[in-house]
Amino acid sequence: MTREEYLAALKRALGSLKETEITEICSDFEEHFSIGLSQGKTEHEISAELGDPRIVADTYLNDNTEQASGYRPTAQNTAAITQTVAPNQVPEKDLTGPRLFVILFNLFIMIWVAISIYATIVSLWAATAGILVASGAVLTTIPILPSGAVLGVILAGIGLFFLAVCIGILCFFLTKLSIIVTREYVKWNKKVYNEGF
Amino acid sequence: MNVQFKKGVLDLCVLSMLKDSDQYGYELANTLSALIQIADGTVYPILRKLATDGMVTTYLQESQSGPPRKYYKLTGLGRKTLAALLEEWLTFTRSVNQIVGGECK
Repeated sequence: MTREEYLAALKRALGSLKETEITEICSDFEEHFSIGLSQGKTEHEISAELGDPRIVADTYLNDNTEQASGYRPTAQNTAAITQTVAPNQVPEKDLTGPRLFVILFNLFIMIWVAISIYATIVSLWAATAGILVASGAVLTTIPILPSGAVLGVILAGIGLFFLAVCIGILCFFLTKLSIIVTREYVKWNKKVYNEGF
Repeated sequence: MNVQFKKGVLDLCVLSMLKDSDQYGYELANTLSALIQIADGTVYPILRKLATDGMVTTYLQESQSGPPRKYYKLTGLGRKTLAALLEEWLTFTRSVNQIVGGECK
């Protein structure tokens, strides 16, 4: 490869870097060629010694992404050394499976389960309200009832009232429980979606 | 020589070579490639990275033959890093030698 060919290939392979960086890098290599030539080497010899421009370019590109990890003149140098030897080879976890699972599981199963649970709770609340209203309603019949039935009606009213209270308390705890379970379930979903199982 | 072996110590080598005198890229590349058989071209990315990390600074100096040369000079941070890397390298090679030499019982 001639000097021109080498520099053109290098420039091409450095493509994704900033224009200023490419210019700086190329000037380093131009200098290398000039000095080599002044020492009696041919352009082809120098190109061969420099090595494949694509590999050289790759080194620049990889260094760029690792820049953040930099050097610290401390114990962290261990990290720096190991990083150069084995550049952070923690493979990206494949999350397609877990994500697909979360989406499909929710769409086909959990959404219906959730709807029926919430519907049950809502209807229980409705029942509570209904019974409460009924307990008051029976009392309104007292004026038109024969006196012998009054006591029974009052007792029925009180009974219904307590029944409403009991179901109400049950509803309250069920609602609370469902909120907690939902929250935990959403949390678990997020975890699986973002980090896998 | 094993490529993986070289990668880890190139920074250390370059910093060491700059310890006593400033050098220009061609010089560094020549010495390194002669001693540990690496492509000359791979020295420049290392120099650039060392510069961006603040280990070395660069300056241009005229030469009798050819164009001005870009010299590399160790910074204070570079010196500290060199000392730390060297220390680790010595400890590390001592351990490895112990293992491969079978002295590790």
